Amino acid sequence: MGIQEQYRNEAAELLSSGAVKLVIGYGEGSTSDRRRPVFIRSADETARLVLDANCIANLSGYLVPEGLLSDGKSVAVFLKPDGIRSVNILAAEAQVNPDQVVILGFDIDGGQASPLPGRKATDFAPLIESQKSTGLSTELQQEADQLELMSATDRFEYWNQQFSKCIKCYACRQVCPMCYCRRCIVDVNQPQWVNTSSHTLGNFEWNIVRAFHLAGRCVACGGCDRACPVNIPLRLINHRMSKEALDAFDHFAGESADQKPVLATFRQDDPETFIL
Amino acid sequence: MTRILLHTRLDDCLAAWRASGYSVLAPSKSHELTRFNEVQHASDMALDLVLPERTIKDHFFPQTEPLIRYRIKKHEIDTEEMVPPELKRIFFGVRPCDASGLAIDDPLFGWDYKDEYWFRRRGNSVIVTIACTSADDFCMCTSVQLSPDSTKGSDVMLTPLKDGRGWQVLALTDRGNALLETIPSILQESDAEPAPPASVPVKFDIDKVTAWLADPASFESHFWKEISQRCIGCASCTFLCPTCHCFDIQDEGDTYSGIRRKNWDSCSFAMFTMHTSGHNPRNTQSTRWRQRIMHKFNYYRGKFDVNSCSGCGRCTRQCPVDMGITETLQSISNLPR
Repeated sequence: MGIQEQYRNEAAELLSSGAVKLVIGYGEGSTSDRRRPVFIRSADETARLVLDANCIANLSGYLVPEGLLSDGKSVAVFLKPDGIRSVNILAAEAQVNPDQVVILGFDIDGGQASPLPGRKATDFAPLIESQKSTGLSTELQQEADQLELMSATDRFEYWNQQFSKCIKCYACRQVCPMCYCRRCIVDVNQPQWVNTSSHTLGNFEWNIVRAFHLAGRCVACGGCDRACPVNIPLRLINHRMSKEALDAFDHFAGESADQKPVLATFRQDDPETFIL
Repeated sequence: MTRILLHTRLDDCLAAWRASGYSVLAPSKSHELTRFNEVQHASDMALDLVLPERTIKDHFFPQTEPLIRYRIKKHEIDTEEMVPPELKRIFFGVRPCDASGLAIDDPLFGWDYKDEYWFRRRGNSVIVTIACTSADDFCMCTSVQLSPDSTKGSDVMLTPLKDGRGWQVLALTDRGNALLETIPSILQESDAEPAPPASVPVKFDIDKVTAWLADPASFESHFWKEISQRCIGCASCTFLCPTCHCFDIQDEGDTYSGIRRKNWDSCSFAMFTMHTSGHNPRNTQSTRWRQRIMHKFNYYRGKFDVNSCSGCGRCTRQCPVDMGITETLQSISNLPR
């Protein structure tokens, strides 16, 4: 039995037993290599679920809309390791109760989707631990190294060109499981903290605000980078922030639901004196 | 016999146009993005694209545009109007859907008030369109009563030749004729055959769709909730759309001086309809998606007798969650009646 059939059966069982009220998974998209999020509410709809190597989107963001989990019922969601880490962060930040999330975990390797054993976020702790010891993506690091080699002036010019393309469609924000604020800082207008205009300055403001808000929270799912309609390499910004968090604080985003948010905590024995 | 322009003469063409005071914009790739940029040479152009990622709308209705500079004094307010520069521009290699988009938006910008910012740019621009001989999975011009060789919104139409050496050239407007008069020796007479237009399958029945949307009962249909469940509420579809035209007026500055700007806005955003009181009449994503579809295929056509969609397909092509107008209109088209 292939993984797709296995997970369809499992989803059907979860729904018909009443263990979950909803399964968030992937379905056929508008072309043969596209997958789209689907919301399955009854066992007889599970044939719509697709699971293969094209299922790359991190679906954990669909867990946070207001009211979804407020009835105490559980929801099952198809997640790769990056999405499982997102659930841990959302739990650490009190956005979801991890006990209400049933994880249908899988990973993609060599063009194939394969199942990951476990159903609760905690079941995947050893896997995430091993990912932490492997470190951040070497591919991303190689790409980031190209930027590090530039002079500060050239690097600024590089980002100047990239951010000039931004149209403030906020696809990066909307697709990101970590951007769950009910009112984003850029939408606050009394006072207007951030320019709403999409000129280069306003675009810098937006992209830098977002980069800082994601420091130590991004799991490198790549959602924002893929969503960006003007191809800004957002992965490189987020990677750089993740690297800082890991190098300076040994903080690997989404390690567990008990993890303290790196920018919202401090240690009594912190060597820096400015904190206390 | 028709007039043709050979690829090998394109550089001469650009030189002649520049000598006549035009700047030429064409699809090209810069900083990993395909869009209309000013070009100097034929080799800078990316004319084999099905479509550039950004539309030409950006050059008529920019994402942010300064309108007025103001300074508040003790007893008076100084204002200075900021007008776009009077540029003579040629848009070369526009696709029929993008050219149509301009024509679709003209009545909106000229309806109760003539938008100088739009029409000044329109008046100084010549649209040289290349008919499509290829399409991708997302193209849907034929579903909205246009076609891969539609001339709507174009001043000059270029139809690729079958032998791939150039284009048949046809002026459609006075502006187009005037443009061709600047290159008389570059065009030549030929009986070379044109290539057939791209085959773009019809994806939905637009008449069924508009009839359903016009039915007041459809407004509260459960359909809207189902179709928009996965919508994340970004503005990728609206900002890449050749016809979406909503904007917001913002004052940027301090207490005493600043610039009033016209910025793109999107009905996809929750903030779009937020009242000062905190009440939001479109407080769910499904009501916002309904608005977008209703506006394009019901309200706009009611007012201007044309759908506010030219079938470019960018909304679906670029959607982070694979939504878009095609799927929604297909689903409406297939609803049981």
